[in-house]
Amino acid sequence: MKINLDEIFDYTSFSVDREAHIVLESDQCTSCDQRACVVCCPARCYSWDEEARKMTFVHDGCLECGTCYVVCRKEAFSRWRYPRGGFGVSFRMT
Amino acid sequence: MNRNFDAIVVGAGPAGSSAALTMARAGLKVALLERGAFPGEKNMFGGVLHRLTALEDIFPDFWNQAPLERHIVKKALTFMTGESSFNVNFDTEVSDRTPYNGYTVSRPKFDRWLADEAVKAGATLLNRSTVDNVVKEGKQVVGVTLLRDGSELRAPIVIAADGVLSFTAQKAGLRRAQFNPSHLAVGVKALIDMPKEVIDDRFGLVRDQGASNEIVGCTSGVRGGGFLYTNYDSLSVGLVLHLSSLSQGTKTPYDLLNEFMAQPQMAKLLRGGQLQEYSAHLVPEGGLEMVPQIDGDGILVAGDAAGMCIVTGLNLEGINLATQSGVIAGQTAIKAHQEGNFTRFVLRDYRKLLEKTYVIKDLRLYRRTPQMLHNDRIYRQYPEFVCGLMDEIYRIDGTPKQSMTKMLLGAARKTIGLKNLMADVYAGWRAL
Ligand SMILES: Cc1cc2nc3c(=O)[nH]c(=O)nc-3n(C[C@H](O)[C@H](O)[C@H](O)COP(=O)(O)OP(=O)(O)OC[C@H]3O[C@@H](n4cnc5c(N)ncnc54)[C@H](O)[C@@H]3O)c2cc1C
Ligand code: SF4
Ligand code: SF4
Repeated sequence: MKINLDEIFDYTSFSVDREAHIVLESDQCTSCDQRACVVCCPARCYSWDEEARKMTFVHDGCLECGTCYVVCRKEAFSRWRYPRGGFGVSFRMT
Repeated sequence: MNRNFDAIVVGAGPAGSSAALTMARAGLKVALLERGAFPGEKNMFGGVLHRLTALEDIFPDFWNQAPLERHIVKKALTFMTGESSFNVNFDTEVSDRTPYNGYTVSRPKFDRWLADEAVKAGATLLNRSTVDNVVKEGKQVVGVTLLRDGSELRAPIVIAADGVLSFTAQKAGLRRAQFNPSHLAVGVKALIDMPKEVIDDRFGLVRDQGASNEIVGCTSGVRGGGFLYTNYDSLSVGLVLHLSSLSQGTKTPYDLLNEFMAQPQMAKLLRGGQLQEYSAHLVPEGGLEMVPQIDGDGILVAGDAAGMCIVTGLNLEGINLATQSGVIAGQTAIKAHQEGNFTRFVLRDYRKLLEKTYVIKDLRLYRRTPQMLHNDRIYRQYPEFVCGLMDEIYRIDGTPKQSMTKMLLGAARKTIGLKNLMADVYAGWRAL
């Protein structure tokens, strides 16, 4: 039994909104000394490329938990809100 | 659609639906706004639904009315290491009789049911309605705007029951924008399909009996714990991880969950199961210290939005507090309507009434617990200590034995340190 996030769309349902509910100003991330979002996000939405010194964020697959909002100490989001009504993650059994 | 109501409730979780149900039964015109396509779509918990005493007048035989999975008759606490586990079990027939002491539930079903009860009582449920902001006239909150089209809904009172991040309370100016990460934990959960008969056999259950298991030591030293609950024909397995500790480490929540599920004793319990769903949600674990201002002019805050959760490591109470605070918020709104006054001078009653219930009393009683639980030794050394000691006691290998007291002190000295042990016992005694 293993959670493999490459396959998250196989077992958790989403209705992905084209309009991102979280907008990250990733310039902030270059000078961030913690990058807590990378280790804390349960859906692996943040990936830091050390070589290119670049943060990539994807909002599809986001479980809307709010962890990144809480752990980021640099207020790096120009938008952090829940998706528009009816969009986003859809738990069926949990 | 008419956009004027007697009361607006933001969020159709247990707090919001309880508030809406209370007000609708008293004849108020209530709008219950939910961002999901249906109530419960966005909600996850462990979890064990404890007795909802606040709703027992309305649902006298709750267990025949609500969609429940199993009622809990077996509780266990496990100290776990990579290879071993030591269990403390409590098994009682008392919990096999009504009123039951707790149930496993599926939130998409349970939350939907409770919201539907509010609708039956006359509330208007608006799904797919994410609230974007509050509308104010001077200091008084008089409505909300929807994200969909910026349109306004108006009511003399708004109840913010929008869960742990409560942007509604924040926008009304009742809590600061920044959270303290040490007040929050993230829960991750795998829902695993398993035939009912297999669950019954494996956990020693019959009929709708259920088992709950809290586990400490299964988080690779990150502060937090594990849980395993039996649903009717599935298992809920997950971890709750303190953000201030998780962020200092190198392992992600799903790495830790995978390790937990692969631990040998866990793997045996999960064998043959099918992963059905993976989910995550925050838990407000800061206790009384994180409770924001819960009343303002034209607004009340209830449930997780008000930080009303109690985590002791043995129990996680949230839904019962959410329901109780929702009902009292609803009653306060009814009284405000009778008096025709919605300023915080009248709404202050909400806090006064809550103070008289277990909600604030227990938050106060357990005010030191969050701090006590921020002790890394609980998650690292103690499980090693307990399992190491048991191993020594049970190992018969031809070497002469020490007295049990010596073994105990020896193991404590080695893993924890006697000074630390004494300090922790004292802190534990004060906190619990
Ligand atoms: C891993 C985990 C384990 C837990 N275990 C237990 C347990 O065993 N027992 C227990 O009693 N409790 C447990 N809890 C806590 C429990 O889930 C919460 O305390 C409870 O759900 C709080 O209810 P609520 O109604 O206040 O908030 P929620 O249940 O979070 O409901 C809030 C609602 O508001 C909606 N919403 C949010 N923002 C908006 C918006 N802007 N516009 C419209 N709608 C919005 C959401 O979609 C949601 O439906 C656990 C929690 C977690 C995460
Ligand atoms: S914590 Fe904030 S600033 Fe730092 S990397 Fe993550 S999102 Fe960027
Ligand atoms: S809300 Fe949760 S799942 Fe979504 S990006 Fe932030 S941490 Fe990841």
